[in-house]
Amino acid sequence: MTEILTPALAPGFRPTTAGWAARGAVMTLLVWAVLCYPANFLSPFSASGSDANALAEAAVFAVIGLSLNVLLGYAGQISLGHQAFVGMGAFTSAYVVTQMGQEFYAGLVLAAVIGGLQALLLGLVALRVSGLYFSLITLSYGVMAQECLFSIKELTGGTAGQAAPRPSGFESDHAYYYICLAGLALVIYLDWRLVRSKGGRALLALRENPRVAASFGINVRAATLLAFVVSGVFAGIGGSLLAHRDLAVSATPFQFRLALVFVIMTVVGGLRNRMGVVVGSAFFSLLGSGKLLAALHLEGALETIDITPEIAPLVIGPLLLIVTLTMYPGGLGQQLTPVREWLRGKRFDRKAGAVREIQITDVRA
Amino acid sequence: MVLGFALQELSNALVIGIITGAIYSLIALGVVLVYKASGVFNFAQGEFGTIAVYALFIWTDSFGLPYFLGIIVALAASVAMGLLTERLVIRPLFDAPRVTLLVATAGVALLAIGVEFWRSGDVQQRVLKPISGELTRVSVLGIKISDQRLITLVALGLVAALLVAFFRSPWGLAVLAASQESTAAELVGISVRRVSSLTWGLAAFLGGVAGVMAGPISQFQPGFLTSGGSGALIPGFTAAVVGGMTSLPGAVAGGLIIGVAEALGGLSTFEAIPGARALSVFVFLLLVLMVRPQGLFGGKS
Repeated sequence: MTEILTPALAPGFRPTTAGWAARGAVMTLLVWAVLCYPANFLSPFSASGSDANALAEAAVFAVIGLSLNVLLGYAGQISLGHQAFVGMGAFTSAYVVTQMGQEFYAGLVLAAVIGGLQALLLGLVALRVSGLYFSLITLSYGVMAQECLFSIKELTGGTAGQAAPRPSGFESDHAYYYICLAGLALVIYLDWRLVRSKGGRALLALRENPRVAASFGINVRAATLLAFVVSGVFAGIGGSLLAHRDLAVSATPFQFRLALVFVIMTVVGGLRNRMGVVVGSAFFSLLGSGKLLAALHLEGALETIDITPEIAPLVIGPLLLIVTLTMYPGGLGQQLTPVREWLRGKRFDRKAGAVREIQITDVRA
Repeated sequence: MVLGFALQELSNALVIGIITGAIYSLIALGVVLVYKASGVFNFAQGEFGTIAVYALFIWTDSFGLPYFLGIIVALAASVAMGLLTERLVIRPLFDAPRVTLLVATAGVALLAIGVEFWRSGDVQQRVLKPISGELTRVSVLGIKISDQRLITLVALGLVAALLVAFFRSPWGLAVLAASQESTAAELVGISVRRVSSLTWGLAAFLGGVAGVMAGPISQFQPGFLTSGGSGALIPGFTAAVVGGMTSLPGAVAGGLIIGVAEALGGLSTFEAIPGARALSVFVFLLLVLMVRPQGLFGGKS
């Protein structure tokens, strides 16, 4: 990692006292919004249970977005069957808690393990072909899981679904939000460690130029498989958190559409930009639950043209995706980078997050 | 007696497989055409068909206008969607990596599904009346085949003949030239852009034919050709892979093979396995990609 001296990074710039105060105020506001607002702690607003629930879902979507980011952003492989990975995590966790009588935490760990295991098995077969064919296999796997795996009565509890109770002490919507937030923090930490591990560096090298990387002794398939397994583990964690948020899992939500929404929220968030992916995923989740439109007082405007919150991500998402791909390849992350750099005590530089080219690049297709 | 029953069931699966496979062949033809011309996996191919079904439904059901005129309108709607996709999404991303284009076409598919949900409101399951739905006229190996299914097979044959004729025409040769070496094609005066429009329009037309044929077979809902019980996109893609991704005759044969493979998954032997049809398509795809990645009909790559 070499630092390039740009004006914003040049030594000598120190924010004034007022500048630090402004940065501190914004930071405090952000921390308050994430940590205090959902639990009505030190808050003039009263966030309802459903508000906390929506925010919990936003955190879970962020986990899923980071999961796809590992595969799509780091390894350059696209999964169109991610709803199946999330669904398997959800059903595993619910099964462990309800049918085996274990603790929630055991369910979470097992969901992560199963997520990694199915990625490993599928990856061992599917990564023999790469690029476009890999996406086709994941797509087919997703539909197969939807029709076949999610119809196994023992696992899914039939059409009624499998109950998924929350851990003791976190039964309320407000308290469960913090479990989801902790899950997100864990995934962000693991993702950060991954990028700094040997395998993570191999992945980054691969993305730059697979042939050069291979000639330096990097095992292309092993590194890609690693990314797929990590992605599966994250998706399993996301599924488990989602199951217990809803208190029950059924097969209905895990459809192909959902996989497309996952891909779109990750790309719109900005590949390889952790903050962007988190913000993008949360945005799509809140758009889908209707909370975002309600907060902006826009629901009335959209209701008049019959757009309900459920279909809003399906209509607005692809439009944002196409704008992102053709005009702003860095996604939301690119737009937000100047703010982040400013918060870190640098000068506000509008071009701080600029990327050279389109972001889903260097794919061995 | 048991053997006779099993044979009867096998022959049933064969016939049913071939008549459902015709739809997959139509989808696979569109997929292969776009892949040949621009190297893109077009995940919006199923939606080109769904748009046609909705256009036909609105034409015949809401306006009460004649069916055969409706088919033309429906196909025009598909072609319009294909041309718009090419102009607004594919062309700005001409030099982008293939996976970016794949994400973009998936976005187009989701947008179409979203718009269908938006416009259909509360009533999601709809029924389109068939062109002609008599069951008594033809029966093969003891299975009665509806007129709709027969017309689908005829349409597949017509489309195949049309494509053969097309690729012998100057325009078809231009498409082939541009797909093989776009710079050289540009040098001899072929407009690569126009060729791209032409292929997407043609692929959308094929999608539209698939939609118009598949729509009346059972109920339809938003995105019904892309995923779900009657989804034809995944079997269609699998068919294209079986056919070697670049071979048009391969795509037709692949569709029929996948139809039969899927029907075999529905045999009573596999009754205990839920979703055995989807499973058999998935296993078939894996097997083909593992054993013969160049497809059953493709040459050495």
